[in-house]
Amino acid sequence: MTRLAQLGRPLLWLSIVLLILAPCACFLVLAVSPRLFDQGSQWFTLSYLRGVFTGASATALLNSIWVACAAAGIGLVVGFPIAWLVGRTDLPGRRFVAAGMWFVLLLPSWLPSLGWQRLVQPDGVMYRVGLDWPFVTHAIMGPFGVVLLLGLRSVPFTYLAVSVALAGLGQELEDAARTHGATRTGALRLVAPILAPAITSALAICFAEAVSDFGVASTLAYASHFPLATYQLYADINGFPPSFSGAAAVGWLLVASVAVPLALQARALRGRSYAVLSGRTRPVARRPLARQAKVLAVGFVSGFYLVALGVPGFGAVSASLLADFGASFHVTFVNYQKVFASSGLSGPLERSLVYGAITASVTVVGGFVFATMLAKKRTKSTKLLDFLLLASVALPGVVFAAGYIFAYNLPVLSRIGIDIYQTVTLLVLGYVASSLPTNARVLVGAVSQVQRSLHEAARAHGASGAGAWVRGVFPILSRPLTMAWLLTFTGIFLELPISQLLYAPGSPPLSVAIQDNLGNYHFGTGMAQAVVAVVIALVTVALVLGGYRLLAPVGWRRMGGGTRG
Amino acid sequence: MALAPALAVAVTAAAALSGAATPASAARPVAAHAAVVPLVVYSAQGYDKAETQAFSKQFHIPVELDDNSTGPLLTQIEASKNNPKWGLLWVDGATAFAGLDVQHLLLRGFEPKVAWNSLGKRAVPADKSYVPTGVTLAGAMAYNAAKVPNPPTTWSQLLSPTWKGQVGTNDPSQSGPTYPFVAGMMSYLHGVSQGERFFSKLKANGLLVNPTNGPTLAALGSGQINIALVQSSAAIGAAMSDKSLKVRYLNPVTILPSAIGIDAKASKQEQLEAEQFASYVLSPAGQKVMQGGDPTGDSLYYPVLDGVAPLKALPSLSGVSTQNINPYVWGPKENMVNSWFDQNIVQ
Repeated sequence: MTRLAQLGRPLLWLSIVLLILAPCACFLVLAVSPRLFDQGSQWFTLSYLRGVFTGASATALLNSIWVACAAAGIGLVVGFPIAWLVGRTDLPGRRFVAAGMWFVLLLPSWLPSLGWQRLVQPDGVMYRVGLDWPFVTHAIMGPFGVVLLLGLRSVPFTYLAVSVALAGLGQELEDAARTHGATRTGALRLVAPILAPAITSALAICFAEAVSDFGVASTLAYASHFPLATYQLYADINGFPPSFSGAAAVGWLLVASVAVPLALQARALRGRSYAVLSGRTRPVARRPLARQAKVLAVGFVSGFYLVALGVPGFGAVSASLLADFGASFHVTFVNYQKVFASSGLSGPLERSLVYGAITASVTVVGGFVFATMLAKKRTKSTKLLDFLLLASVALPGVVFAAGYIFAYNLPVLSRIGIDIYQTVTLLVLGYVASSLPTNARVLVGAVSQVQRSLHEAARAHGASGAGAWVRGVFPILSRPLTMAWLLTFTGIFLELPISQLLYAPGSPPLSVAIQDNLGNYHFGTGMAQAVVAVVIALVTVALVLGGYRLLAPVGWRRMGGGTRG
Repeated sequence: MALAPALAVAVTAAAALSGAATPASAARPVAAHAAVVPLVVYSAQGYDKAETQAFSKQFHIPVELDDNSTGPLLTQIEASKNNPKWGLLWVDGATAFAGLDVQHLLLRGFEPKVAWNSLGKRAVPADKSYVPTGVTLAGAMAYNAAKVPNPPTTWSQLLSPTWKGQVGTNDPSQSGPTYPFVAGMMSYLHGVSQGERFFSKLKANGLLVNPTNGPTLAALGSGQINIALVQSSAAIGAAMSDKSLKVRYLNPVTILPSAIGIDAKASKQEQLEAEQFASYVLSPAGQKVMQGGDPTGDSLYYPVLDGVAPLKALPSLSGVSTQNINPYVWGPKENMVNSWFDQNIVQ
């Protein structure tokens, strides 16, 4: 082990402790010791934890767990075939599929939720256009709708993880199977287990993302009287006076819930190697689809986008085009005029672009390092790291934000001159901490496929340690890293709970400015701002992917080109 | 750099002496020797940006504005209460201030020397731990006049089959101004259990509960409901943009003061600046900014000062019976009442 590596590992764990563990621990400890942070009189109590197992909290928690399982399942069932069709066939329009996935990802989850509500609610758009379908209202405004929305949101995670893995899986394995007489299904059966790291990683991340989602919990689930744990946690924090201890108790159970997918993942991967990506990996040959299969495939993919993007897009855009709270179908651009006439929009927009870029850049580096550790031989420390990262994905952003206040606003820190609460520094640290786990989990599928021989070959040819990585490994991972950067950027660009609690006074990010309008009765203006923000985020995604296409060497794109921009 | 604080002090003193910008006030003058510090304002008001900018411009005191919803602001204050970073809080609802006051988080004993009108006098707390700056009404009734030519005139009429499935309101757990409405009804009906019975009957009659004013008014606009019980400023703002909507107050309607509280643990200098700010808000200049800062939203308030008229869009309060709830009685019940509402009315 080199000296750098010897120094690097403790530094890595120190950063995990400072960024993730300490804030989360400061929040979660309140479940048993409210007095520690002046939130009650008890130094030790189990009453809050006991409370979670009874009444509304228990119901909400149970709902969250089964809904997250179902959502992860939908993510896999829909996301895997789409990734396969895009990566392995001549599916028409496949170049637009990846861009569409980014669009699904960058929409804050409350937006599709409101779109669906607007469509199917009693006297909603569906009824106004003459479709008297109460059964649709009952289906969407209930557990089915909640599972559907969270499942649709899981699809891009599965798609990204699987498509990157498929790209790394050259043609030779399928060719070998076909040469030995296997049917297409047989070849798929051979290849599917090799994709296990990506699949299990996708399932785990989908579960954690769904269980920690707040956008759907606070809109469609709330309106459907279907309580979820994150809403329960939010209600505890948002009540007055807030019950941080009650919220922390729910947080403990959310953290514990991710142990289930992690255990399943560990069981699936035990003792096997999935490194298939080497310098000899051959690019894939696309299989032409028969006419009928092509129609079915296009219908399947289009149906997904119609449900995931068409409906919420209609909801958001229609809300932004109505000036009168939706009393008529009279279309007006007055809300957009207000947005562009307002001098207060450019500042938050610029800030969120900068915060998103900084956070994404820091997170991709950290995420890659963590993913590399997770992809290596499983030891106790990597297992612990794996659990910590996924557990922190399961915690809603508001927990991070409150934890950061408790951890970094201690009087003792102020006395020694560390006063970072309500500064941009702490806000960006909060963003990084909340993005890092998801980022690492998304990258682990691609990183675990890189054979160590690539690095060793470069070293054998005289490259230095860093040079070997830059010239031997980075080209293959350049596209997944670009995608991970975009994933973080788009997530932070419209992030709300952390921004609300940690932003530096006088410097509001975009989401806070939008929320300010939505909360101050300027519903249409707020929706118009949200639409403009989504368009800007989309343009950024297009610029980054276009830049990669133009600037990256052809070899980089070919080796890492599982996903198309 | 040393010139700026000195200039600020000079301007502050000059403004205070002139009496034109700041009315007679109990605000202690900013000490001549003290350096100006940034005043950190936590606010959920739609006109706060305009007001803080005007204040900074006039007194050369820098203001750092945390413009957020009431919920996150109170969460920040509670989470950071052993090392607070705020200087002044400006939100709607006396119960929140009473809750902070009983925890000794607010500076007591400050009252600007202004000519309160009857609304203002009723909103000033005995220990002077917060300062009312305006009043809206909790549970104002917005209705679609095209579909409802004869709206209900009493609260009990809302329970009749005539209005089945036509009434909507907000969830007090998510909408700050809604708890005073719920508490006001309980107070009017002489007890929590009587109030619970009222809301249970309202639910049985098809009450629609949305999280906040926006979605409830959107439901009214789309025709999902025909009557919305929301904060008066939201109702009037909606009626200004949708001419088919009208606003009426059912008797009694509960007063919802917007108020300013000052951090008890802030530095002396910041407390002085906060007092200066509160006095400025209640000055003619400050009231003008308040009424112009968010003309279709929070600016639609009833002033608490003699000589300041409300905006023309506001319905007259003559003939309307208003009631104040005791925030020190109803504040501590907020979590209990909201939990009951969530479990029995929302679910």
